[in-house]
Amino acid sequence: MRRTIALLGKELADLRQNLAIFVPSLIVVVVSTLIPVIVAVIVPAVSGERLSDSSDLEIALEVYKHDPAARGLDPEAAIQAYVFQYFLVMLVLGPVTSAMAVAASSVIGEKQARTLEPLLATPLTTFELLAAKLLGALLPAVGLSVIAFTLYMAVIAAVAEPGVFWLLLSARSVATVFLVGPLAGIVALQLAVCVSSRVNDARAAQQLGVFVILPIPALLVGQLLGFVRLTGPLILVISLFLVVANGVLMWIAIRLFDRETILTRWK
Amino acid sequence: MLSATHLTRRFDHRIALDDVSFELAAGEIFALLGPNGAGKTTTLRILAGLIAPSSGSVYVDGEPMRADTASHLRARIGFLTEAPGLWDRLTVRQNLLVYARLYELPSPRKAVEEALALFDISDRGDDRAAHLSKGLKQRVALARCLLHNPRIVMLDEPTAGLDPESARDVRDLILRLREQGRTVLLCTHNLDEVERVADRVAVLRTRLVAVGAPDALRARLFAPRVRVVLTQTAEPYAARLRSSGVTRVTAHGTSLTVELKNSSLTTPDLVRTLVEAGACVESVMPEEPPLEDVYLKLLHPEGGIQ
Repeated sequence: MRRTIALLGKELADLRQNLAIFVPSLIVVVVSTLIPVIVAVIVPAVSGERLSDSSDLEIALEVYKHDPAARGLDPEAAIQAYVFQYFLVMLVLGPVTSAMAVAASSVIGEKQARTLEPLLATPLTTFELLAAKLLGALLPAVGLSVIAFTLYMAVIAAVAEPGVFWLLLSARSVATVFLVGPLAGIVALQLAVCVSSRVNDARAAQQLGVFVILPIPALLVGQLLGFVRLTGPLILVISLFLVVANGVLMWIAIRLFDRETILTRWK
Repeated sequence: MLSATHLTRRFDHRIALDDVSFELAAGEIFALLGPNGAGKTTTLRILAGLIAPSSGSVYVDGEPMRADTASHLRARIGFLTEAPGLWDRLTVRQNLLVYARLYELPSPRKAVEEALALFDISDRGDDRAAHLSKGLKQRVALARCLLHNPRIVMLDEPTAGLDPESARDVRDLILRLREQGRTVLLCTHNLDEVERVADRVAVLRTRLVAVGAPDALRARLFAPRVRVVLTQTAEPYAARLRSSGVTRVTAHGTSLTVELKNSSLTTPDLVRTLVEAGACVESVMPEEPPLEDVYLKLLHPEGGIQ
């Protein structure tokens, strides 16, 4: 445990000196925040046509049907809540891209900078090494989730109709951002670790993150098309799936994170 | 202290190391020599518990290196890798502190300050590793490798790319390690360095070609030779020696090189014979072939040195 904490301290100190790697993730968060604002607030304001004046009104009825808490909102606020709620899932991209950036910098970069061999020559076990790497990716992912959620909610409080903020400030939203986000990020990181143990070119490992990123916009599109509804229980199921996936990936990573392969094969 | 028994290592179908055995005693400097791809780094990695042999065993203080023992045995070994491997964005102090904690030293900060003082780099402790010269990086890497006071020290190319002064500092350090009773395994292409510090050398080319003290290997491969410098042309005296039964004599200008093996002649006899023949002897020096000649002869016994 002490060795894991020692290496985690190094990971965080190293990331503090390399904050630029989080810039793409922050851009993703900002863009994910701006899109629903454009859709739900700016476009209606510029066009002069409120959402509740259009055929979108039926959306409000849907919201009232599925979310009793929204029944206190007027139709315009209910439709805005619908848009902001559905786009909330895009905030998960932030932690995932941040974990992928950490994977590239911390796991793969370690080998490319030739800092891994002296590290492997210490008493550090593979589990301790991977645990430190995972925590080193998890903590920034959680931090980014906090930033993303705070920004999202602050923007909603500032521009959305009254009541939307309080409707969005729910356990479902918190679970989406703080459970699904970091857990999906760790899946991306562990995939990179697993694959990097079995390929000669470490860069190939980075490409695997796409398998974690793709389901997130797919989830948004699925919601917008009405195929899926991200309810509280579904978020818990997804989180549980990600927890199990992370456990399995950790088990595989420990077996695949072969010191020998990494020392002798990686170019 | 450290022993390798019948170590063999295959990478897919390629044999990197084939049935290599040797033992290292406490307070010994042992140099591992060999051409590129001979298996030196593989040997070091196996001995340091970084990779496992395909067959054969490593014992550290009599304890076998296995998957379940490697972690705690690695704590007894200091391993200087070929590249310094410092985290560029961290300071020197931060780099060392992480390792002091990984080795679970009781007072990590104190150990780091002592190491910085020992290697005379206290004033660079707060510099980022990226800003250090190659020599300083190597010094920090050496400090890191000795931070936990290991009894066994493995050094992979410790002076590669260093300026002469830094290289001398490293050599002095290696000699100090021996004085402290530590076992040093040195892996290098620098034969001059080996000549200066090593008690024994092993020449490796996938298989172990030879192991022994440099002088013993020299004596095994080359006959004792004497170089006599005269004040006059040497050729007539070479002929005189040949007629006295000395078969291997060469003359170059005013100097004679005489091989004394297979001859009853001793050095005083040789000088007496030359003086009696009228030669004016200016100097007499035993001539030892450099370790490079020993190394090349071991690798190319048929004499096909390129």
